[in-house]
Amino acid sequence: MLALGMDLGSRRVKMAALTTAGLAWQRAWDTLSFYKSYGSLSQDGLHLDFTALDLPLDQPASSYPLVVTGYGRNTLNLVGAQVISELKAHLWGIRWQLGLSDFTLLDLGGQDTKVIQARQGRLDDFQMNDKCAAASGRYLENMAAVLELSLEELSRHWQNPVALNATCGIFGESELISRILEGHAVSALAAGINASLVARLHPLLSGFPLDPLIISGGVAHNQAFCKLLSRELGLTPVIPERPQLNGAIGCAYLALQTQEEHSHAHKS
Amino acid sequence: MPASSYMGITTTVPVEIVYAAGYQPVDLNNVFITSASAQSWIEQAQKAGFPRNTCNWIKGLYSARQAIACPRVIAVTAGDCSNTHALMEIWQEDQVTTYPFAYPFPPNRQRLEQELQQLAHSLGTTLEAAQQQKQRLDTIRARAWEVDRLTWQTNQVSGEENHLYLVNTSDFNSQPDTYAAEADTFLHQAKQRKPFQDKVRLAFIGVPPIITDLYPVLEDWQARVVYNETQHQFSMPAATDDLVEQYLSYTYPYGIHQRLAAIEEALSQRQIDGVIHYVQAFCFRQIEDVIVRRRLPVPVLTLEGDEPGPMDARTRLRLESFVEMLQEKQC
Repeated sequence: MLALGMDLGSRRVKMAALTTAGLAWQRAWDTLSFYKSYGSLSQDGLHLDFTALDLPLDQPASSYPLVVTGYGRNTLNLVGAQVISELKAHLWGIRWQLGLSDFTLLDLGGQDTKVIQARQGRLDDFQMNDKCAAASGRYLENMAAVLELSLEELSRHWQNPVALNATCGIFGESELISRILEGHAVSALAAGINASLVARLHPLLSGFPLDPLIISGGVAHNQAFCKLLSRELGLTPVIPERPQLNGAIGCAYLALQTQEEHSHAHKS
Repeated sequence: MPASSYMGITTTVPVEIVYAAGYQPVDLNNVFITSASAQSWIEQAQKAGFPRNTCNWIKGLYSARQAIACPRVIAVTAGDCSNTHALMEIWQEDQVTTYPFAYPFPPNRQRLEQELQQLAHSLGTTLEAAQQQKQRLDTIRARAWEVDRLTWQTNQVSGEENHLYLVNTSDFNSQPDTYAAEADTFLHQAKQRKPFQDKVRLAFIGVPPIITDLYPVLEDWQARVVYNETQHQFSMPAATDDLVEQYLSYTYPYGIHQRLAAIEEALSQRQIDGVIHYVQAFCFRQIEDVIVRRRLPVPVLTLEGDEPGPMDARTRLRLESFVEMLQEKQC
């Protein structure tokens, strides 16, 4: 039995296919080109052309159980698809990836940062960043662009961070430019960007047990950020094998579970 | 209704004094938020020089007064927010007649009485005349209290209807008798309804929402607001025959601790599962969220609003997740 999960993120659209044996396959697209190539708006919502996605499936996509999460989910009109919140998707993703049911998860997405507390496998508490996206992946992207660095290069630097304190992401860019003009080394500027994200996030984590602390989302690939966060909190965060795919995996896992419950119900 | 009789108000004030003086109170907040031009009014205020990173309610008040050509305003300069203080100074520059009114902090009966007397004197009336208005208005407020009771006790009134009937008690839509007649019709009809079947009962605390579709969206998920804190306070729920006592029991202007006492009582009486703490972007009340979270015994979602209009995707995500979490906790 194969079950599908889809996470419509603000930067990337991710898909995962699970069987009881494990992850069958995964796919990811840039959000903008995904909607341009495969989406079309009609009176009853947004439609996706699954045939054009060219997925490795034996039968039409609609014949598999599908669970969807992410930004577009409220406008998406997918026949038979179950729609869940991102928090639930991420919680189920960690349950599948790490087999844990009690944990604090820090999910750093393109626009939103979420702290999720799971107890006995259920959502117990959460906090999200305020309206401003200055504590999210988008902030790192913008700042890396100012330094003309790739995200991979940015994620190498954590030593001797330059102080960057602006509250607003846009002011943060101006602050970075003035630090460049002061002559600081690129490595120290890059470390400063990573450290400033840690400083912005730290208040969100207060009050959570962090036992263990798991990081998901694209930013989990940023090793310098994880190292700085670890130093700030005095603990070592756990990074699942596929942090960016976590929401899609959670969806697929829920689809798989629901399908299994159905087939058990039919058998009994 | 001629604009010459309007008395603009920037939040709830002792409206009895306004009616006693023969003016028609107009809550500029309600003019702003119910206007189809609300968004352009914010832009209008920004063109006049109001900073972008300032509360949008203040900008809305500025333009709303202009739109209805309201010649005079009672500006609450203590007990609401210091932005109103600066707004009053702008109005003074614009030759609008302004009457400053300050709720004393900490709450103090003698100082409040002096404020009421000062306001009555400025408007050419007396506290005795205002007391007579209080008797009249209290019979009308009783309708709002009944709407509130039907919201949380018999579950026949929606969160939005509760919000509208209670929020309008700040000025009774400038026409108390019409308000009373409409409330009577509404109550008669609401009492015939089947009760709501909610999965989640919510409290909405903080200033009234700038988001226009909050309540129906929540009710789509079978989550209903059964307590609108500030709106409830606008209806002067602490029954008393004494005008000064009434505005002393009114919690909104006297800080978070006095407000929390009333909130905690409502949470237990109304069997509330979770609290939405609404804060306006750039408002000092965002700081008070620290105390709200520390003190309340049920889960709290802090929701930040900025622009008027239907809710955006990020607000929806937060609310939906909160409702989902509260539902899971009940399983």
